[in-house]
Amino acid sequence: MRIIICVKEVLDPDAVDNYVLHGKLEIGDDGKTLTQTSIPRLMNAYDEQAIEAALRLRDNGLDCTIDVVCIGADPTAILRQAAAMGADEVSTVPVADGSLDGHAVAKILAAYVGAKGGADLVLCGRQASDDDQGVVPALLGELLDMPVVTIARSVELDGGSVRVTRVTPNGDEIVEATCPAIVTISNELGTPRYPTTMRTMKARKINPNQVTIDSLSLADSDVVPLVRMSKQYVSSVQGNCTFIDGDSPDAQAATLLSKLRDERII
Amino acid sequence: MSNSLVFCSFDAGRDGLPAGAEEVLTLARKLATARGVDLDWLVIGAQPSGVEAAAAKHGVAHIDHIDDPKLAELEPDVVVAAVQQYCGQQSPALLLISQTFDSRLVAPRIAARVGAGVVMNAIDVASGDGEVKVTATAYGGDTRVEYDVAGPVVIGVVSDPLLPEAAASPSAPEARSIAVDLAGVDERIRTVQKASSDGPRLEEAQIVVAGGRGLQDAENYQLVEDLAAALGGMAGASRPIVDDGWTDSSHQVGLTGKITRPVLYVAAGISGASQHMVGCAAAKTLVAINTDGDAAIFKYAQYGIVGDCLEVLPALTKAVKGG
Repeated sequence: MRIIICVKEVLDPDAVDNYVLHGKLEIGDDGKTLTQTSIPRLMNAYDEQAIEAALRLRDNGLDCTIDVVCIGADPTAILRQAAAMGADEVSTVPVADGSLDGHAVAKILAAYVGAKGGADLVLCGRQASDDDQGVVPALLGELLDMPVVTIARSVELDGGSVRVTRVTPNGDEIVEATCPAIVTISNELGTPRYPTTMRTMKARKINPNQVTIDSLSLADSDVVPLVRMSKQYVSSVQGNCTFIDGDSPDAQAATLLSKLRDERII
Repeated sequence: MSNSLVFCSFDAGRDGLPAGAEEVLTLARKLATARGVDLDWLVIGAQPSGVEAAAAKHGVAHIDHIDDPKLAELEPDVVVAAVQQYCGQQSPALLLISQTFDSRLVAPRIAARVGAGVVMNAIDVASGDGEVKVTATAYGGDTRVEYDVAGPVVIGVVSDPLLPEAAASPSAPEARSIAVDLAGVDERIRTVQKASSDGPRLEEAQIVVAGGRGLQDAENYQLVEDLAAALGGMAGASRPIVDDGWTDSSHQVGLTGKITRPVLYVAAGISGASQHMVGCAAAKTLVAINTDGDAAIFKYAQYGIVGDCLEVLPALTKAVKGG
């Protein structure tokens, strides 16, 4: 069976967070692009967990082809990482810039899945850590007419069905859908495996398949975004903290509690 | 395309109103007034008791109700089909949906069906030049992004930072029953085991004590639970310590966890990463305990203690019990 995993290259969200915390995030002249070249470009962490979910299925004896696809300017590094983790095939659909919206990305991915003769299972991260939108799997599900199961902690295959444990606000829930299906993976799946040095060395020689938009028989109008980013800025936080001093933790605790009681908070 | 602006709800909520209804209606009212169009409320499934009063309060013109035996469980495939048929009949320009665990999947699916743009994590919506301008959070709340959308759009609104406010003049909403045909729609996802929703929910807790990496070790999470118990509150956690298995994900506060809005939130050994703050920024009072006086958490806090949470938490627990 074929498992297709959709991955995205993102700016390291921890590095972005760090720059924001220190008031040093730089936004380019266009008013929206984060320009610091010192911020590493990484595979979206939830997508890495999606690859891990597929590898675990194979570890459990599933005979499958694991096919990882990325739409982006030059995602060679993260696709080599995917290959080092254990992906059988890695492909990229090169696009010029980051102006595609969820609809355009989903259309390209749907055409890619079609060109591959379909997939039994499509795995995606629950959302990308840059825009946090998380809409592509849902849009893709509509285009491919596949059921979409979100926020998975674990994925199992049982005959022609996929059984998913979902992390809901009310606790874990177990659902089933008939394949082909799309499942989005959450961080609760656990840490993705780290490729061995030998596999990493070997993957350095791999060049991802280049799949052009033209070869997918998509019209230009298919990839015109409906949603366009016009501006990005750092949300400001007003600091207004009263620090509680004291000679000891006990003294600080007593002062804090008396303030909270005075304000009838507790 | 008609011009109407529609707030769409498909959950029963816990207090007689769908989740976030009043907050999203407040935003929708402002936008409908600016655009000079009707604000309608589409209720999917059994109509919660508080809908009529809330609709009048927020100046809703029509309460459009779709009910059908198939909508009893409000499962995604039937909800998507019902809203799709409604859009086919009414052609709204904007569909606003309160962002919840379920709507996060349903909203983009509706957008795909009706060919609308979709933006999630929205915190504000305004009218632009023939376009809609949506402000949403990105990078776990570190940045805000403005999106321009031409044509119809489905917007998932995060209601937590919004405050409900009545319309300048209340309305007498007209109830309309909307007929749809769901005969051919079968749910493709089968529930094998439901989530157990018993017990108190972190989202509704009045007091939350949350711990992060500053606890240093899994066993010290007990200190968080002790103070939470002493205060009659609940224990929360930052994502890193949930990932490390110090506690389970039902305690996780933040962008990918629970969104809390307690009266008191105590953050112990939490640095204040944006993705965590998304889950506690709506707290009325935030107390931060951290060894690093420059930690970001103090920017959000009303009260701060610069100190080791391993010492301060037990001192607070003792003081609460003693007092």
